[in-house]
Amino acid sequence: MIANWFKIFIYHLRQNKLFSFLNVMGLSIGIAGVIFAILYWNNENAYDQWNPEKENIYQVFNKIGATGDIWSSCSVPFGRTCKATIPEIESICFFYNWYNNDMIKYKGQKFFHKKIAVSDNGFFDMYPLPIIKGAKTNILKERNSVAISEETAKLLFKNKNPIGKSITYNYKDYTVKSVYKIINPSSFEPNYIFSGVTRENDEQSWGNFNYAMMIKVKKGVDIATVLKKMQNVNYVNRTLKDAKANGQTPEQYVKENGEITVMLDKLSTARLYGIKSTQGPSFPEGKGNLQLLYIMVGLSILILALSLVNYINLATASAIKRAKEVGVRKIVGASKKQIILQFVFETAIIVVLAILFALAIVELSLPYYNTFLKKSLSMNSSEFYLQLIFIFFLIIVLAGIFPAIYISNFETLKVLKGNFSRSKSGIWIRNSMLIFQFGIATFFIIGALIVNSQVNYMMNKDLGFNGDQIIRVPFNYQQYDKKQAKYETTKQELLKTSGIVDVSTFAGSFGNSTNSSSGFTHNRIFVQPQNVEMDFGFLDMMKIKIVQGRDLSSKFASDTIDNWLINETLAKTLNIKNPINTIVTTGWGNEKGNLKFKIVGVVKDFNITGLQNKIPPMVFINLKTLKWNNFDNIYIKVSPDNLTETLSKLDKYWKKNINQDYPFEYEFVNKGFAKTYQEQVKQKDLFFILNLVVIIIAIFGLFALASFSMERRLKEIAIRKTLGAETNILLKELSKQYVVFCLMGFVIGIVPAYILLQKWLENFAFRINISAVPFGISLVALLVLTLIIVLTKAYQVTKIDILRYLKYE
Amino acid sequence: MITIQNLTKVFRTEEVETAALSGINLEIKKGDFLTIMGPSGCGKSTLLNIIGLLDSANTGSYQLLNQEMIGLKEKGRAAVRKENIGFIFQNFNLIDELSVYDNIELPLLYNNVKSSERKQKIEAIAEKLNISHRLKHFPQQLSGGQQQRVAVARALVNDPKIILADEPTGNLDSKNGNEVMELLTDLHAKGATILMVTHSDYDASFSQKTIHMKDGIIFSERLNQRNVDVFMDTK
Repeated sequence: MIANWFKIFIYHLRQNKLFSFLNVMGLSIGIAGVIFAILYWNNENAYDQWNPEKENIYQVFNKIGATGDIWSSCSVPFGRTCKATIPEIESICFFYNWYNNDMIKYKGQKFFHKKIAVSDNGFFDMYPLPIIKGAKTNILKERNSVAISEETAKLLFKNKNPIGKSITYNYKDYTVKSVYKIINPSSFEPNYIFSGVTRENDEQSWGNFNYAMMIKVKKGVDIATVLKKMQNVNYVNRTLKDAKANGQTPEQYVKENGEITVMLDKLSTARLYGIKSTQGPSFPEGKGNLQLLYIMVGLSILILALSLVNYINLATASAIKRAKEVGVRKIVGASKKQIILQFVFETAIIVVLAILFALAIVELSLPYYNTFLKKSLSMNSSEFYLQLIFIFFLIIVLAGIFPAIYISNFETLKVLKGNFSRSKSGIWIRNSMLIFQFGIATFFIIGALIVNSQVNYMMNKDLGFNGDQIIRVPFNYQQYDKKQAKYETTKQELLKTSGIVDVSTFAGSFGNSTNSSSGFTHNRIFVQPQNVEMDFGFLDMMKIKIVQGRDLSSKFASDTIDNWLINETLAKTLNIKNPINTIVTTGWGNEKGNLKFKIVGVVKDFNITGLQNKIPPMVFINLKTLKWNNFDNIYIKVSPDNLTETLSKLDKYWKKNINQDYPFEYEFVNKGFAKTYQEQVKQKDLFFILNLVVIIIAIFGLFALASFSMERRLKEIAIRKTLGAETNILLKELSKQYVVFCLMGFVIGIVPAYILLQKWLENFAFRINISAVPFGISLVALLVLTLIIVLTKAYQVTKIDILRYLKYE
Repeated sequence: MITIQNLTKVFRTEEVETAALSGINLEIKKGDFLTIMGPSGCGKSTLLNIIGLLDSANTGSYQLLNQEMIGLKEKGRAAVRKENIGFIFQNFNLIDELSVYDNIELPLLYNNVKSSERKQKIEAIAEKLNISHRLKHFPQQLSGGQQQRVAVARALVNDPKIILADEPTGNLDSKNGNEVMELLTDLHAKGATILMVTHSDYDASFSQKTIHMKDGIIFSERLNQRNVDVFMDTK
């Protein structure tokens, strides 16, 4: 039986080589899309799942009452008090939730290593990584301890025993206590874990939110109770004390200043569904991009649906050609079940072929996909192969069952009497599927156009500053207290160098915001502006405009004491009508109380962070005013001529005068800012590729369906021609319905396109508005494509030999 | 009306050349009712198709209304066809998806007749052929005879110069067949020019003149006796 089925399958495969090939290809592209989505999905959902404590570990967030910002950092005394007073908390851990990339020295050898983490002794409670060598407990108890990964141990010490060796990081010596094995994927995959993250002077500062914190609770405790107790710790130690200091009742104080809300985020779900901090990623390995994940899964399902629809359409359409075979089989005794089985069997062969093709496609394009996602996915888990088998059966059910039942229901007698090829049965299903396909194609074309115009908008938007020919050079000067003076001499020396037009700096970088932010209250309004500590002339070099008043200048002595500038957003937020000469009490204080600053100018708003975010309120002070020395870059305007020469001069200068340990690095400011929309550029490219795929599949489906239904009408065409129909009239007649389907599909497609793209655009504070243009373009594009395909086919069928169809039908 | 001189038609396959028509001469005058008879494969249908501009000849001359048809392009043939020729087929060739009304309307549509005029003409011809009550039906809902009457109505609705009938009674029983033949005779009596291909001597006897063909040539022409009326009277 199988042999017989197989024979006839091969016969039809060879009869319709082109259609069979396209059919398999269409399905395999759809399956490949789903495989890509599954790989991504598996990887993202696997984060931290290895951790046996994942259900008991929580990261602590603070929602700042006055601004509503969510911080992923905590103060040290808060953590210590919680640990001491709440019995449910087994241990706590402070850590930096980012990696450093820095220099490690061992016996005079320098290694520039990545993924360096800094934490405290609680780290291995939270991440019980397997210890290969050395101490198993209290690894990071001493402040000069370090644990290193297996690979790092090999790089540093080759085959020697690393335990007890001394390495230098950040000009301090550390002793290697243990070697651990990294398990991935994890929210922490460090090469080094250094101890001693907290500093002495943080121990009593309830206002210094300097470190990220995790807590591990005892098994089976009610987390809501823990959260309540933690909130109470905050209330007793912050709210009550601050209210007292202000001479207010706690209620009054909370009403005016708000209160910190403690939030907890469970490790097992933190990667994808965790709390979003306003300070950026809350783990060194970052957050999962849930939206991108949903986009990938959604789009791949759409593409698979498209290819399934194609398959079903073609199968039912070509089934008519096989009606006679089915009739004969029934007459010689085949049951309906057997007929269904036969056609499901054929689908199964096609799906196997398609899956093989799909695996080949995935294997070939996986490197590009990995670059896109910045991951290293591979197809090797047993979980993946189980899912593949599931897909196999799912597709057989979705694609195979319907055509098989449809075919098995042919009425034997009608089929054998002939004239069946003009049957109308099943036509409405095929047409509605065609409309569905048009809908999907509409969605993709509109989506690609809108994503494209948002990306173009971001690339061309006037940012309020001009970064042309300005490079950012990291300023790694080790003596923190002399940084300011070193900068001044460096600036003077650089300005003498040919090819260098201007030198300036500020504490921050374009695209990443500034390095500090300090809140204060004015006019009873609390604000949390970004601090721009800058050199004189910085705004001028960046071509940032002053809209009122004047820039800070070295000519005025008070400009380094108590004058500052604010930006337009801050002026608006504080509701100051005449900002110039207004005195503001700042959040900065000394023993005499809070400092008062005078506004001498208003700076025109410019984008300091990516266009996803609104322009924050900002204050501008001179570097010398507070002497925080927390700038870490020098901005240099270079002349476009002899750029290579200038850069090599800078390289030499840096090695000689600034820091010989670090390689010289530089980045153009514009390029640095472009990183903020790098992901959107990739999404645009992704959408473009998917668009091509979708359009190819849809066009093929349309062509196949139009072919089948027009060939069904050959006799009608012959009759019409006999009665004198001219070619163009016939063409109109034949393509009319497809234009109608196209329009119907378009109408179906625009609604989800509008809603979902609107949602995507909500990611951006600076965004385009959805206009009618992309809808118009996609409508025209769809119509043109439809007409090209349909008219080509229609023209071909109008050229038929009339006599053949008049006589022999 | 139609003058055919030395017309030949050769079918070529890879191995064989078959002459379907070899040197046909024929003249049809306005108002003639001609029958072509002959065994299967004698070339009679080919001749009819060439006259109906559905097929083209290889050599010779075919003049319709003093216009040379040989060498005309598809577009020109379509134009001549829709204005001058009405077809009646053995298998009716109605479009199943269209109603009787819509089927009859087709030639008028292709001749750009105004919609008010179309309605009049269709109703008139349906009246004449006694299918007025069937206009809203679809071909599959009608008997064979009724379908052929629809086909005749479609052939006549545009007042063609000549009616070509290819075995018009072939798919009909004798009663329905008779009806169709009476219809044709009636049309002829009113001045229509008709060329018919048939196997049936009985059908042929309705016409004025019968041409016998064999192997692509005409080998006899004879005028039919007018015994038809007698037969019909006795019926």
